[in-house]
Amino acid sequence: MFSTSTPASGSRTIASRALRRAGLVDSDTQMRDGDNDRRNAQRSRRRIRGTESAKEQATGSFHRSLAVRMSASARGTASDPLAIRGAARPTIAGRLRRKDAESGFASNRDGAVDAWRQMVNARYNPETRFLDLSSMIDDEIVKKHSLSPPGRGGNVRTAAVIFKLAGQLQPEVQTLSLANNNLHGMHLLYLDRYLPKLRNLSLEGNDLQTWRDLDHVGAKKDKMKCLRELVLIGTPIRDMEYKNGRGDRYRSELARRFPALEVLDSETITQIGFTTETDIGQQQSVVPKPSATTFPYEMGPSFITGVDGNLVSAFLFRFFEFFDTQRNGLLGVYDDQANFSYCCNTSIPVRARIENLHNTLPNQRRLNWEKWLENSGGGSRNLNRQQVNVDKSVKLLHIGPPSIIAAQTALPETKHDVLGSMQKFVVDAFPVPHGQGHALLVTLHGEFMEVRKQALRSFDRSFILLPAPEGSRAKLAGWDVTILSDQLTIRGYSNPNVWKIGPMLVQAEAKSNPAQKPAAFVTSSLPLDQQATLNNLPDETQRNLVLQTCARTRLNVNFALDCLHGNAWDLERAITNFEQVKDKLPKDAYL
Amino acid sequence: MAAPAPTKPASSTATPLVRQDIEIATRAADHFTRLYYAAYDSDTRLADLPKFYRESSSLLWNGRPSQGPDGLTQLIKNMPSTKHDVQSFDCQPVPGTSPPSLLVIVSGNVTYGRGPSGNPPNTPAKTVEGHPRAFSQTFMLVPDSSAVIKPGEVAKYYVSTDSLRFVG
Repeated sequence: MFSTSTPASGSRTIASRALRRAGLVDSDTQMRDGDNDRRNAQRSRRRIRGTESAKEQATGSFHRSLAVRMSASARGTASDPLAIRGAARPTIAGRLRRKDAESGFASNRDGAVDAWRQMVNARYNPETRFLDLSSMIDDEIVKKHSLSPPGRGGNVRTAAVIFKLAGQLQPEVQTLSLANNNLHGMHLLYLDRYLPKLRNLSLEGNDLQTWRDLDHVGAKKDKMKCLRELVLIGTPIRDMEYKNGRGDRYRSELARRFPALEVLDSETITQIGFTTETDIGQQQSVVPKPSATTFPYEMGPSFITGVDGNLVSAFLFRFFEFFDTQRNGLLGVYDDQANFSYCCNTSIPVRARIENLHNTLPNQRRLNWEKWLENSGGGSRNLNRQQVNVDKSVKLLHIGPPSIIAAQTALPETKHDVLGSMQKFVVDAFPVPHGQGHALLVTLHGEFMEVRKQALRSFDRSFILLPAPEGSRAKLAGWDVTILSDQLTIRGYSNPNVWKIGPMLVQAEAKSNPAQKPAAFVTSSLPLDQQATLNNLPDETQRNLVLQTCARTRLNVNFALDCLHGNAWDLERAITNFEQVKDKLPKDAYL
Repeated sequence: MAAPAPTKPASSTATPLVRQDIEIATRAADHFTRLYYAAYDSDTRLADLPKFYRESSSLLWNGRPSQGPDGLTQLIKNMPSTKHDVQSFDCQPVPGTSPPSLLVIVSGNVTYGRGPSGNPPNTPAKTVEGHPRAFSQTFMLVPDSSAVIKPGEVAKYYVSTDSLRFVG
């Protein structure tokens, strides 16, 4: 379906060239060094993990204590890793080294920071905005001051100091190489904090073993969100994934973790771009900051255009009747290639919490998300959640009627009261481009009862519909439309008065405002079919007149419309006319 | 938003979705939601946000329609500052389109203006005004055939449809 016009591999960015020039991607020497480093790393890892043979006991315990120290210091300083200004807070390794070193320089914390700063400055090229921190252990400044770089005795704290210093460079660092430093995931914990706008990163030849190691770089989706290029060549995690024939999954998992990633291990990643990306935030001209204190518009009624409102309401009535009572009866309405997925937004709505709906409505406390989040049909496809990885996102998109019905049948039983009070729902429907023609986008927001718990939930549902052609499966099953796309979002219950038509407040009003107007008669006070009829009127003035007529006479929309029409859309004339004939009107003329 | 009535689709001979399509679509939605709401919440939104739209784009804000980048500008020019918090999103490639249109559905919280701290001092604790509102926003993203693409890019997409409601 997607095809890219450019080859997926071989295209390298400027950053990639910069890395290569610096000998970080392809250079043979560096690769060899990297291999040596890796072998060393693997040896020491074996020591850490190996049984405590007498021969290795000393080294083994040394490494264990180092690991403990690393995690302990990371925990203790989560809020600010540099609260204690100490780049080279003395580590065991550092102490061991210093025994041999003539100078006691590194034990002076500020001195160490200065030395790290010297190294960082010396390795920065402001023109290319490239900071080359590869193989720090071989650095002259590091040797001179007997510093312990992270991965070579230095811990997460040391790494944090170096990243902080890097973060202070001007102009801002764009490209960073940390290649061949024997780094573990933990060392990278503070990379995002100090270099959040990094665009290119090489971690080549480091000791990154598992996905969990990479979690420290970018597990949370708001981490490293500008990262365009990443190099993980020569890391155990990459080697392992490729060795096991999971190269594609390795790439897609990283693409998922770094939303802006364009190049991974020197190969481009196939993706969709957005025209604005390069321009965002790069605006030269000054634009006014947002300063309004009121909303530009009021809450409006259901908006239905370009389609017969009755068609929409007929579809919704029938759809939810089946959905609530007999979901397999919906088989016919889905197009052969139709998609369905649902996701749960499990957070408690702030305003509902303030209104205490959770406690004041019966049974709300009985609700839990269990059956929604996972069930025999799959579960919630909330792509915002880290747990929904590529495999899951594929599995949870249900394609074709049988698969869709199976997924829906696995959901808890529901009751949508679409025929009852229409104030509980709001529907917007309008045409959207589809191929050479148009389809219809229908968005419905409202509530349903979870039958087993007898408690309420709110939901949003979006459909893309096409007219059902004569003789089609949908038509034969009695539908005027067929569903192409169906997406359902289930939320914690919110008060439906949110759709009350009229002004909305940004902030609470000052108290001296007791004059309460009587509640307005609004579109959502009407049954859905009448709302649709009303919304079919193209003219807003006319819609308002109909509403006012309904409010004053209690006539239903059709009669109010007739009455206004017969009186040249003059409200007062229509009311007078109504007064004259009201005794002769049938009962069903009224709401 | 005067659009013609629904017509028959061009053809339904589109290739079925494969894993990679879903993957690319998912990633695009992820990237899009990030970019879009960051732009919306920024001080420079008047410059940044309209770039997501084209003349043909249809917008609906709480039942109020508008059209294209200019319509959006009119809308956000008089909108208080915002802070969006995306809590869930889902994305489906629309069947029968190639490269596919993407249906992106976002659910989350949005705080306007100064939030609860901007309420008058004697506001009762039970007042909901000023507190975050729940919002639901449905987008259709479609490829822009005229845009220049970078290596590795399938296409550049823009917002062809944007339909928002406050829902709590």
